[in-house]
Amino acid sequence: MTVPNILKALLSLQEREGAVTPAAIGGIAHQLGTTTAQVAGVLSYYPDLHCASPGRHVIRLCMGESCYANGCTRLLRSLQDRLRVDVGETTGGGKFTLGTMSCAGNCAVSPTVIIDRDLWGRVLPSQLGALLERYK
Amino acid sequence: MNDECRMATRLYLSNDTSARAAGAASLAEAWVDRPEIQLIRTSSRGAFYLEPMVERDSADGRVAWFNVTPDDLPRILSGKNGTPVPSIPFLARQTRVTFANFGETEPLALGEYQARGGLKGLEQALNMSPEVIIEELKRSRLRGRGGAAFPVWNKWQVAQQTEADEKYVVANADEGDAGTYCDRMILEGDPFRLLEGMLICARAIGAGRGYVYCRHEYPAAAATLWEAIHKADEAELLELDGEPFPIEVVQGAGSYVCGEETALLESLAGGRGVVRAKPPYPAQEGLYGKPTIVSNVLTFATIPTILSRGGAWYASLGTERSSGTMALQLGGRVKQPGLVEVPFGLSLRQVLDQFGGGMAPGARFKAVQVGGPLGSLFPASKLDIPICYDAFAQAGAVLGHGGIVVYDHETDMVDLARHFMAFTANESCGKCTPCRIGSVRGREILERIQAGSGTVDDLVLLGDLGETMKVASLCALGGRAPYPVLTAIEHFPAEFRSRLRT
Repeated sequence: MTVPNILKALLSLQEREGAVTPAAIGGIAHQLGTTTAQVAGVLSYYPDLHCASPGRHVIRLCMGESCYANGCTRLLRSLQDRLRVDVGETTGGGKFTLGTMSCAGNCAVSPTVIIDRDLWGRVLPSQLGALLERYK
Repeated sequence: MNDECRMATRLYLSNDTSARAAGAASLAEAWVDRPEIQLIRTSSRGAFYLEPMVERDSADGRVAWFNVTPDDLPRILSGKNGTPVPSIPFLARQTRVTFANFGETEPLALGEYQARGGLKGLEQALNMSPEVIIEELKRSRLRGRGGAAFPVWNKWQVAQQTEADEKYVVANADEGDAGTYCDRMILEGDPFRLLEGMLICARAIGAGRGYVYCRHEYPAAAATLWEAIHKADEAELLELDGEPFPIEVVQGAGSYVCGEETALLESLAGGRGVVRAKPPYPAQEGLYGKPTIVSNVLTFATIPTILSRGGAWYASLGTERSSGTMALQLGGRVKQPGLVEVPFGLSLRQVLDQFGGGMAPGARFKAVQVGGPLGSLFPASKLDIPICYDAFAQAGAVLGHGGIVVYDHETDMVDLARHFMAFTANESCGKCTPCRIGSVRGREILERIQAGSGTVDDLVLLGDLGETMKVASLCALGGRAPYPVLTAIEHFPAEFRSRLRT
């Protein structure tokens, strides 16, 4: 088992620091005895690893099939309009980062919105305002 | 026990992620300090359209109240108007084997798991030689509950017969097909069943270590699993023949293709989760080049019952070439979304009518998709196809992980097709050209058609592109990606043609 576990190192760094900054790549490569290209390759591969710190609250909208059938594209448009950001962007004051995911496994109670660690099911566009209000 | 506790009424409420999302979380919050009740947090029965569902004991077994709000407490405490759980048709019509404990037990109560027959399969396996365990599996005719539906005994035999100083058992908890959630339910709701299945596998192939590769999207599942491992370890269950058998949960990082076994192993080792060509199969050369059994959670969770009740008993359920039961997961625009475990062989129509309860209010049926984002789309005329591996293969479809999503009359099939191609373009690992380039070109063509600037030639091109991706891609992501798109065009041609530039 001499292969360095780059993913594990990146995930734990992200857990601690909120993001893996490009500046940290060299240090990790040195620590694991591998190249910066290897580390950068893993970092760019996984959607859940990111280089910039997200906003104070991360909103992720599930785009899975059941959520699609139950109107997640309308929800996404509504969120984009409300927050005035595109997917992957953070609102001006750094409050919310908007993202999507391919499936939250909450298909029977769809559509699904995840804010930080809270998962909300059967969400209607009309409920989004009140939902966002809960996060200061 | 003080008087207060003695007087408290025991109420059962699910702690499953979807039940929580449906309102169980706020119920628990509202009721946590009420001295008149004692809340038992169970797994969900999977009747998610009824969640949050609250149950209490009665002389005739459990009685339930559906879609409960905090204001319903007096009604529940009075005991009036509850429905006996066994009389709920959605549940009564099922054959629960792998999901038999759901709604009944507290997921992390090892004693309850054992009292309901848990660990009997492992006990049997410990008294058998590896060859006899594999024979029992052969008798069950169990096929892997992932995409390829490969006979499980065969895979185990290869790993067992391959000489190596170390072997591994890996549970694939990254089966991230959109529309499926039974793995999540097992991880959260009956984790000891997964661990038991992994231990039986380890005993059969001679493995010394196990891993559960769990999706990053399932934080509650990973936490429950860690706790279950800790409890199993304390109870000295994580050992085989006097040797420790450590099991570790490893977190994924949001890549769909890491559900493919070779990509999963690369990711587990800490690199980019990129697919590699087979053979060699992981059963011969898997994690760190050693023989490794990679099976999904549902497959491992089925093993304990096969060992405790016998392979022949299991094979008596279902059909000749699709034995046993399948966990179907209903979602989309049905009236009654939820988990349904039935023997193979029922038609799609029967499943949708008997369990789905028809369409959601105001919705009319348009199409159904089985097997996640790479599954074929069926119109109403195809609903009599029986749910089994062969019939699906004949219809040019796959059963996959058993996700069934229903789309209604408002669905734009061109946009849906684009949605699937965009999904593949996003998730392709990039290793093979047909998938990496084909999915991007496919998405572009569909965007053109959607924007009204596509031509008849574009539809022909999409067909050619699809055929190339089917035969030349390295794994099922690229190979199956054309199916939803091509079946959408086949069954709903007018929607595509009406958007073309003339």
